[in-house]
Amino acid sequence: MSALEIQNIRKSYGAVETLKGIDIALQSGEFLVLLGSSGCGKSTLLNIIAGLAEATSGDIRIGDRSILGVHPKDRDIAMVFQSYALYPNLSVRRNIGFGLEMRKVPGAERDKAVQEAARLLQIEPLLDRKPSQLSGGQRQRVAIGRALVRKPQVFLFDEPLSNLDAKLRLEMRTELKRLHQMLQTTVVYVTHDQIEAMTLASRIAVMKDGRIEQLGTPDEVYNRPATLYVAGFVGAPPMNILDVQVDNGSLAISGSDVRLPLPERFRSVVSDGEQLALGIRPEALRLSSDDRAGGHALQVHIEVLELTGPELVATARVGQQKLTACLAPRAKLGQGDVAVLLVDDDALHLFDKASGRARLA
Amino acid sequence: MSGSWMTTRAWLLMLPLLAVMISVIGWPLVDTVRLSFTDARLVGTEGSFVGLDNYARMLSGANFQRTLVTTTWFAVISVAAEMVLGVLAALLLNQQFYGRTVLRALMILPWALPTVVNATLWRLIYNPEYGALNAALTQIGLLDAYRSWLGEPNTALAALIVADCWKNFPLVALIALAALQAVPRDITSASMVDGAGPIARFRFVILPYLVGPLLVALVLRTIEAFKVFDIIWVMTRGGPANSTRTLSILVYQEAFSFQRAGSGASLALIVTLLVTVLAVAYAALVRKAAGSNA
Repeated sequence: MSALEIQNIRKSYGAVETLKGIDIALQSGEFLVLLGSSGCGKSTLLNIIAGLAEATSGDIRIGDRSILGVHPKDRDIAMVFQSYALYPNLSVRRNIGFGLEMRKVPGAERDKAVQEAARLLQIEPLLDRKPSQLSGGQRQRVAIGRALVRKPQVFLFDEPLSNLDAKLRLEMRTELKRLHQMLQTTVVYVTHDQIEAMTLASRIAVMKDGRIEQLGTPDEVYNRPATLYVAGFVGAPPMNILDVQVDNGSLAISGSDVRLPLPERFRSVVSDGEQLALGIRPEALRLSSDDRAGGHALQVHIEVLELTGPELVATARVGQQKLTACLAPRAKLGQGDVAVLLVDDDALHLFDKASGRARLA
Repeated sequence: MSGSWMTTRAWLLMLPLLAVMISVIGWPLVDTVRLSFTDARLVGTEGSFVGLDNYARMLSGANFQRTLVTTTWFAVISVAAEMVLGVLAALLLNQQFYGRTVLRALMILPWALPTVVNATLWRLIYNPEYGALNAALTQIGLLDAYRSWLGEPNTALAALIVADCWKNFPLVALIALAALQAVPRDITSASMVDGAGPIARFRFVILPYLVGPLLVALVLRTIEAFKVFDIIWVMTRGGPANSTRTLSILVYQEAFSFQRAGSGASLALIVTLLVTVLAVAYAALVRKAAGSNA
């Protein structure tokens, strides 16, 4: 039995269908991240799970019961909002205990639960303050505390870190990871930040236009993207996509005379003469002067070099096509150089140009 | 540009307004203060200085005290009812339903009508011979015979309060509705997930956002209700048996009906002072409320 099961959920606003049949089954303790750009339907799906929006069709089950039509308060869920959504005139203590107070949990028991959550989130000294006296990070901790004390079956997070500044976001991300490791709760987490998704998720559902493009572990989503969209969305800088043609057991990069050998694993799924999209992650490329031997050579013209600190981002051209490579920071390169980059066999991804689907996901 | 030139220019720009204000408000006010220390009559005598006689006579008179009570009743009950009705109407009009925009526009109508029109309208409703209220109440069996709502001392004030509420609750509703739209959706959603019922949601989620704007509405309405004149003058002229006579009506009667300009002026200044005290007290209250929310 799954902790949370989303079955063929559809949602239409008039003629516009924002969710086009979503199926996900979550095991207890899983951390699912719904990842996608704005308008992909991820927040709508979260609101449907929370009961704040109604699905047009489909079913959602928590444990062994359907929760469609059940009031949000009776769904055994807790939700953390992007804007924190704290009650402005209640103290932190009452904010955290509000859900229990509304459920008529006795005062002593409530106090204990609030104290416990506050200790876990390291906000004990703030319990008697008002939300207006807290910083953004502290407010978000209170909002998380309010969800924690309820001990629900499923936690829902709606872009909880988007309102925080970069440094605090990093801290809170680690904090969330620590909490999840400790409490082993089932989580559905919405974000458009792929780093958050990669670091927090046990599984990621990459969404686009109301559909799931790929549902898999962070490793699968990163290393075996199912579609061109996923390949472009996950990873920064995004995966390089080059037009290639299968030609006699090799991949000819269009607009140049560069060829890469067609990896063995693709032989049975491509046909000779076929036009495909070749994906190579910028971080999978390295300079031929590197000590690591092996790999296929790719001759490029360096156009722009950007040193970010930990790496040197090179924007280059292969024939007419653009290619980005993340190289070692001390690489000896200059603008306008002709360089030879190396890429390993298993770092090559092939996609169908029309459908965007991966050959061998 | 130097600061002093800015200051000079500001005063220059305000000069026309100041001139008008001084001539239509400032000078009459000064003259009223002067009059209040004399026994001048409206026509005929210029009057001679009588010191605080007018004030002493007015404050100790039974008329003033009874009128102060009537005015207070009128203000407290009508403002309280307007606040409650206004908030309820705003909560209703804040819901999603078909025809909401039309209803919102319609709601403003009573407040947008001139008071005289509103008062005349209610006089028709209360009419002892063909009034709609009498007809409605007898037809549903609540009343045996037609009554003169405005003609009986024990119903006249209540009838006036109803008319005043009908006119003024839309203002409160409008202010409350604007405030309701500032309640963040996330907090409402959070309270639903937390299991707050409608009453808890109103108290913990909505009310904090309503308090400030409602205080402003309360101040405005109380001061206006305390000075009420037009609606009463059109509907009852302070009668029957002075049962609806408020302070402003009393001032008018003293100064114009009885032509006692001196004592009328002193009474007017007493009312002004009372309203000023109210205004200052409320201003302090609003400041305090704003401070506690920051």
